[in-house]
This record gives sequence, C-alpha cells and structure tokens, in this order.
Amino acid sequence: MILTTRTKESIKTALAMTTAYGIALSMDWDNPYWAGFSVAFISLATVGQSFNKGAMRMLGTLIAVVVALTLIGLFPQDRWLFMVFLSAYVGFCTYMMGGARVQYFWFVCGFVSVIICLDAGPDPVNAFNTAILRAQETGLGILAYSLISVFIWPQHSGKDFYAIVSKLAATQQQLFQHSLGLMRGKADSEVLKDLKLNEIQEQARFGQLLDAAESDTYEVRELRRQWRRYQKQSIELTETMERWRESFADLQALEIQHLLPNLTVFTAELDERLAQINRMIENQAPDRQPLTVDLELNEVNVRKLSHFHRAALETTRARLQQLERLTQSQFDNICDIKGFGRAIDIVDTATPASNIFVFDPDRMLSVIRIIIIMWLAYLILIYVDSIPGGTSFVITASVLGMIIVTNPQVSVTQLIVPIAGSVAFASFIYIFVMPQLSSFLSLGPLIFAVTFIICYLYAEPQQGMSRALGLAMFVTIASISNQQTYSFISVAITSLMFPLVFLVILITSYVPVSLRPDQAFLRLLHRYFRNGEYLFSSDVDSKKQSTFIDRWRRAYYVRDLVTLPRKLGSWASHINIKVLPGTSAEKVQSIVTSLQVIDNRAQALHETHNCPQAEILIRGLSEDIKTWRKALARAFQNLSKDPVARKADVFRNKLNEIMEHMEQCIEDTLNQADEEQLTAQDSENFYALLGAYRAVSEAVIDYAYSTEDIDWVRWQEARFA
Amino acid sequence: MIDYQEYGVQQLPHEFAIGGVYMPPLLVAGFLAALLTVLTAYLLNRYRLSRYFFYPPLVSLSMMVIYTVFIGTYIVGA
Repeated sequence: MILTTRTKESIKTALAMTTAYGIALSMDWDNPYWAGFSVAFISLATVGQSFNKGAMRMLGTLIAVVVALTLIGLFPQDRWLFMVFLSAYVGFCTYMMGGARVQYFWFVCGFVSVIICLDAGPDPVNAFNTAILRAQETGLGILAYSLISVFIWPQHSGKDFYAIVSKLAATQQQLFQHSLGLMRGKADSEVLKDLKLNEIQEQARFGQLLDAAESDTYEVRELRRQWRRYQKQSIELTETMERWRESFADLQALEIQHLLPNLTVFTAELDERLAQINRMIENQAPDRQPLTVDLELNEVNVRKLSHFHRAALETTRARLQQLERLTQSQFDNICDIKGFGRAIDIVDTATPASNIFVFDPDRMLSVIRIIIIMWLAYLILIYVDSIPGGTSFVITASVLGMIIVTNPQVSVTQLIVPIAGSVAFASFIYIFVMPQLSSFLSLGPLIFAVTFIICYLYAEPQQGMSRALGLAMFVTIASISNQQTYSFISVAITSLMFPLVFLVILITSYVPVSLRPDQAFLRLLHRYFRNGEYLFSSDVDSKKQSTFIDRWRRAYYVRDLVTLPRKLGSWASHINIKVLPGTSAEKVQSIVTSLQVIDNRAQALHETHNCPQAEILIRGLSEDIKTWRKALARAFQNLSKDPVARKADVFRNKLNEIMEHMEQCIEDTLNQADEEQLTAQDSENFYALLGAYRAVSEAVIDYAYSTEDIDWVRWQEARFA
Repeated sequence: MIDYQEYGVQQLPHEFAIGGVYMPPLLVAGFLAALLTVLTAYLLNRYRLSRYFFYPPLVSLSMMVIYTVFIGTYIVGA
C-alpha cells in the first residue's frame, strides 16, 4: 500500500507526540504537555522548515528562561514593577515579531517568558525548576520530532526548492513577454494580472523554501550566498518590470518602433537571456552567451517630439536598460550556481539600506495593544476573585494577544469557532474516553490517534492555525500527567476562560484606535498623503538635510510611504464590501494599485533627483520645478485632509497648465544654450527628471480618478462592527 | 421574612441546571444579553440607523449591560 504524503506527515507528527509524552512521563517530569506543545508547533512540511522552526523555538525558550528568571529575581516582592518590566519586554518582542525575519523566534521569546513568569512568579522557590523544566521539555519535543522527521520518510526541501526556482524563472519570462506585448498594445491584461499574482506567490514560497533548503540540502547550503543573490536579483527584476509597465501609459501617443529602431533586437536579446536562465535552471548548458546590445535612439525622430514625450521615452528606455543589466547579472549568477561558467565574484552593488533606526507606527500600535491586553488581564486576575483559569487567563490572553496584534486584520471573532470546536473535541476525549484508559499502553494509542486525526484533517499549509489550535486544546485540556485526575470543573473553567480572553482582546480592537478594516484603510490613506506632503514640500530637500532630526524624519517618512501600499493591500482584502454599497473589491484594489504606482514613481523621482543636472537647465527651470513641487505638495496636503479626491479634473487642468508653461520655458532655455554647454548625459538626466515629475503627477491624477466612483459617505459613517 | 417583590425583584435568584451542570443565573443572563446585543446591532446596521450613534462600540457595551440587567432582573432572576 502506498501512503500519501499527507498520511506520512500525520503519522510522523503523531509518532513524535506519543514518543515525547512517553519519555516525559517515564522520566516523571511535571507538565509533560509542554513537550507535546513543542511537537505540535514545529511540525512542518519538510525537515528543513521544521529544523528552522525548532531551532527558533529552542533558542527563544532559552532566552525567555533567562529573562523570566531575571525578572523574578529582580522583583520578587513587587508585583507592579514585575508586570511593568514583563509587559515592556513582551512589547519589545511583539515589535520585533512585526519584522520580516525570525518572527517565530521573537514570539517564543515573548510568550515563554510570560508562561514562566506567571507559573513561577507566585512560587519563586520553584522558579528555577519550572524554567529548566520548560526548557528541557521543549528540547525533548524538538528532538523527538527532528529525529523522526530525519529517519522516517524524510522530506527534504531541495526538490521543492529547485521546482519553485524553475517555476519562478518561467513566470518571469512569461511576464516579460506579456509586458512587451502590452507595450505594443497586444496583450491580455487579465493574463498579466494572473502572472503578477503567481510571481508574488512564487517569490514568497522561494524565500520560505530557501530558508528550509539551506538547513536540509547540502548543495543549497554550499551555494547559499549565490542563491540569496539570485533572490535579490529576482525581486529587483520584478520591481523593474513593474516600473517599466507603469511607464507604458505615457507612450501611447508615440510610435515607439520609429524612436527606438533596434527595440525588437534588444527585447529579443532580453527574452533569450531569460530563456537561457530557465535552461540552466533545468541543468542544461546554455546555447549561447549574452550579447551586448545598446538601445539606440533615433535622434532625428526624437527631436520632433515634445519635451514631455521625450521625457516619457527616456524613462522607458532607462527601465529597459536597467532590465538589460539585471538579466546579465542574473545570467552570470546562475552560470556560477550551475557550474556552466567560471566562478565569479560578483560584488553586490545594491545601495545599503539606511542605517538610521526608524520605528514603524503600526508595529508600535501592536506594542500598545499587547501591553493593554496584558495589563487588563493582570488587573482582572488581581482584583476579580476566582477568575476562571487564574494565571492561565493572563498567559492565554498574552499568547493569543501576541498572535492577534501582529495580524491586526484578523478579527478575534474569527477565532471563536475554531477554538470552540477544538475545546468541544478535546473535552469529549477528556470526559468520555480518557477515564476508560489505564497505563501508557492504552494512553499512547489515544495520543497517536488524536494527533493523527487532527494533522490529517488540517494538513494544508493554510489550515495551520486550525491544526495548531486543535493540538493545543487537546494537549491543554487532557493535561496528561502521571497522577492523572479527571474533573469536569477544569473543562468548564477552560471553556469559560476563552470568552473572557476574547473580550479583553476585543477591547483593544477599539482602544486606542478602531481596527474595523474600512476605518483602518481610511486612516492609512490619510497617513500616506501626510507622508507624501512632507516629502514633496519644498522645504525638504534631501541635499539640504543637515541635522540628525531632519535625516531621521525623512528616513521615517520615506520608509512609511514605501510600506504603506502593502499594508493597505492587506487591509483591503478584509473590508466587508457587502456593507458598503457603491464599493467593489476591484475598486478598492485599484486604489491600492494607484498608490503603489505613486510610490514607485516617487522613488524613481527621488533617484533621478540625485543625478547631476546641467547648470544652465537648472538656472532656467528651477522656478518651474519648484512650482511643480509645491503643486504636488499641495495636492498631497489636500488629500491628507480628505483622501477622497473629488478633484481629478482640477488636478488634470493644473498639470496641463504647468506642463504647457514648462514646455515653453524648456524651449527658450535650450535655444539659449550652446551645444557645448549641454552634453548627451546632461540631456538624458534632465529628461529623466522631467519624466519622473510628470509620472508622479499623472499617478496622483489616476488615483483621483480611481476614488471618484466610490460612495465614501458610507465609509465614513459610524457602524457596528 | 423579606418580601422580594417589594424591592421590584420578581423571582428569587436560582441556578440553571443543564444536564446536571449548574449554571449561575448571571452567566445565562449575560449569554442571552450577548445574543440580543448582536441581533440589535445587526438590525441597526441593516436599516442604516447606526450612523446616528457617535461611537457604536460603546453603544454595544451599554446595550449588553442594559440587556443583562433587564434579563437578570425580570426574566431569569439573577
């Protein structure tokens, strides 16, 4: 009989759970369910993923042990100071959980310290034993699962990793071909949309599997630097293609083939490079090496264009040249990885991220929420007599709170059904089945069967939360120990504790700010335009930044502006469209897309702004550019007060006015300039700057149009959640 | 002997037995109040009346308290 992967994985987790319990019980350790917890939470699809998660859990537990013992040692007789420091520490861990990497490590660092502090705090004499017990049982669970996953039906990540690399490369080539079609007006935008979505998903999967494959596949680990570089190049390729596509709108009026005579040859070369990269990823030697092709301009035709059309053309050309450089470096890197060329030592030229620390306001909100949750639960524990669960109430509120506050889009009410189902299932086993058992010979098969059923039913990665809750509730309610007792009251108390925990967490969905998705969306929109206003206001010029505060403020606004479209996108998918007549998911998505476009173009503008400009042009046009910048800042200021633009036509007229005036000024300035005063590079830089200003303005106008046919009154009026 | 009706209390507090498990009357009153609050909020949203409230979450909380006291005093006898 051939077992499916789903069955094999469920058997492995069930076996590890039974083994962990068996060892903990035979050693007569207290709280053997801690070992069970460990197995339940680190079991993932492949050995590498489980190793990584297991390592994070172990390291996090050890740090939490040290922190918890320190806090207990420092404040043995002062419960308020104890809680001040504990909640501050958990707040710090929650902030770190919002980062891009090792979120699980910070989660464990936080919640394990709460468990130890609240389990051992009231009984400081045994604090050390409790902390060590927690660490050793966590280690036991990790060891049991790791050994079983390595020796029984090992699932290495390498195969999946190579498959996703191949898929991603193929998607990127298709995306390039469709984008090219779009530029020539011959592509299906629906196919393009699907491809973009696939690319995002494949890139996320690539990151996860690379982490896992580095741990369990030697060939990947050996070349991890090159694979990491490939990941960066792939992300950069995605971003550049996106920017390239965004520039198509301005090209509609141009005969691009006449302006860029060797465009077909150039794009065919890029396509061929991407095809060769795919070929090498499939372990086949490349048919040919990349050729050097320059994307030439037909100067005669280009001179006939208006200055703004010329700027649009320069922008597209710059993007294509950037794609050329990227595909070349990607080709070299894959050659190196697959051994088809000499080993190269590519120096990463990416500009290092700003090293100024800037806080993220949304992550700070998570910190405030978790601190409120912990304090509310703690005050209830102290001042309400016989609160269900006792210290477990504070622990559960903190653990669930950390999960909820770092995923603010998920409403706590969405957890009610899975938790109620898990509690009912675990209670049934505890009340009706477990009392019939005696010795580990009959308990072991029960643990195995229950774990197997839960893992089998919730095997899909997106069901991870349900699986974790099911196993956690079984482990908690069964409370398996050598001196097993059965009490209905303990089940009733656990069942009663959850509504109270939900209530405490629910309060923080309204205090300090409402987390209703449409309200949160509007709030982030306001912030987006406030940031834009600051960055475009004429007083803020990056070249004049001198004090640390100025640099810090600028770094803060830039970072916030860059991250906001992604955050808005995650809120957009949770907005309840049914209660907002006149709004559709597509309309909301188009707002998010238009903000992303503004963002990309603002970044491009910032990059072009740093390029050197010819003195004569700057002198002649500085006033116009200043006026344009001021107009943009004013538009952002108005939108920050009311993100519902309603003035798309006004913006359009204003932009046309500025452009007409500038067209004339540029003409005059160029007529006055001698040929020697203006090099080809100067002219390229100037058109890039002009194109970037126009692109940002056009993006703001597109945003204004995208908000016009939404019924915003409904969004702004009060409603029960 | 205390005349409870003189104080406006219609029934003596008594526990609820469901399958042999005794539930405190306040728990039952709270549970029913929560259901009624959800229903009222749904209806207020449905007929677009919630826009007349300044802060709906606080209204929900107030309704919950009012319903609990009402049900506890006049229906289940908390």
